[in-house]
Amino acid sequence: MYNNLGNQAGPTGMQGPTGNPQPSPFGNAFYGAGSGLIRGGLGAYGERFLGSSSEFMQSNISKYFSNPQYYFQVNDQYVRNKLKVILFPFLHRGHWTRITEPVGGRLSYKPPIFDINAPDLYIPFMAFATYIILAGFSFGLEGKFTPEALSIQFTRGLAGWFMQVLLLKGLLYSLGGVEAPLLDMVAYGGYTFTGLSLTMLARLCWSSSYYVVMVSTSFLMGVFLLKTMKRVLFTEMRSYEKHSSRQHYLLLFMVIAQFPLFWWLGKIRAG
Amino acid sequence: MAKEFAVRPVIFPSSTGNPNVPQHSRHPGAASAPPFQPPRPTAPGPANPSIPFMSFDVGAASASSSFSAPVFASVSTGGGGHFSVPGSFEDEPPLLEELGINTRQIWRKTLSILNPFRVKPDLHEDADLSGPFLFLMAFGLFQLLAGKFHFGIILGWVTVAALFLYVVFNMLAGRNGNLDLYRCLSLVGYCMLPMVILSAASLFVPHGGVLIFSMAAVFVLWSTRVCTGLLVELASGGDEHRGLIAYACCLVYLLFSLLIIF
Repeated sequence: MYNNLGNQAGPTGMQGPTGNPQPSPFGNAFYGAGSGLIRGGLGAYGERFLGSSSEFMQSNISKYFSNPQYYFQVNDQYVRNKLKVILFPFLHRGHWTRITEPVGGRLSYKPPIFDINAPDLYIPFMAFATYIILAGFSFGLEGKFTPEALSIQFTRGLAGWFMQVLLLKGLLYSLGGVEAPLLDMVAYGGYTFTGLSLTMLARLCWSSSYYVVMVSTSFLMGVFLLKTMKRVLFTEMRSYEKHSSRQHYLLLFMVIAQFPLFWWLGKIRAG
Repeated sequence: MAKEFAVRPVIFPSSTGNPNVPQHSRHPGAASAPPFQPPRPTAPGPANPSIPFMSFDVGAASASSSFSAPVFASVSTGGGGHFSVPGSFEDEPPLLEELGINTRQIWRKTLSILNPFRVKPDLHEDADLSGPFLFLMAFGLFQLLAGKFHFGIILGWVTVAALFLYVVFNMLAGRNGNLDLYRCLSLVGYCMLPMVILSAASLFVPHGGVLIFSMAAVFVLWSTRVCTGLLVELASGGDEHRGLIAYACCLVYLLFSLLIIF
């Protein structure tokens, strides 16, 4: 199941020899893993686009997007356990660090199937869609359902996701230019929709529980993000900058910022 | 292959035993060239020069494999080929065949969806969009009867849903995922049948009651089961992710049930 693609261009910025992402392994990734999608999507033009401009793509895309296929190597058991970790981070007994393995001379992270702490993109996408559908049900039960309202909620959800990613990226940036792949941050940002979906479900079942559930899920999401970002910073930063008070204040700000974000995303306002 | 001129001479049907048959059924090595043969570059691909590109025979170009055979059969008898000149209108293939709509196949596929417990993937091997189109029109019509004008929304949402499923399935399946968008759209459209039935039934059920919710739950599960079964059987790489794909399908059909219930 784990196709050793030999590149894992995603987790750059590891301690140790990072260097530039080598072009050929990444080219492999495009032709190998994402090729099903790309082959189907580009169809007849695939050869033209991928063949002639592969160098362009390799040099530019790899700067922004690590291999997205890495984030979808999941299975049922991983999804179940990861949901438990996201929603109740206090119960996670083990450590929070990701398992690394030397791959082709560079250290890279193991994919989500093998490592509960690895981020994935399946859960965020599904959680986002669940959030939209539950929002639709909430609209409907109040009698205010229109498809346009649902589209507005979709856009609002996307904006919330974007703000969350911005927050995480800003945190990393202001703490010293730590290199972490963008898709990792997108994944961590998208995990908020699991807690949010739970909140909306609770509101559907019993409306007076809404505030309690919302406060608790936003707090738990804050804790989850705190532990995750702490681990990310810990592995990436130079040793003399660890445990600075600036770091702690910024992390605290990140946790506190979860509350207004959840409140804003949970507000069902027929546009 | 003999040298070809840019413009073929027009040869009207005469007493010659070689009627004007369309290009692709021309007997190999025929002496007289058929009329209106567009200039063709050196025959690419297959060595048989008597199968040029289809310019007139729309039916065969878009037909599913199940009835390209009769088209060939009817033409190769040489009885009266189909021409493109007027005056031979009755010899053209039937419209539905030309359009590639095989009603028998659509009916068979529809019947196979009706049974949620036994999935027949071989019927759905060749994807087509005419069945889904009919279902979506029926869906829109039933919604219209309920007072909601949702045609454009249904079209848009089906597209987005098919795209979503396509991305999720191929990403999960990884290297050996070979679902293509056309087939995905076709499957999503065919598995809309329970939703169409639900929208018809919702016309007679009181709005907002428990009955409509429970019916919707049943129909969504029906759709999900059929769609997951077909997706996993028809495209490779999906079997170890059955539950994950089932959840994605469930979300798609829940979205459409929202349109029906509220």
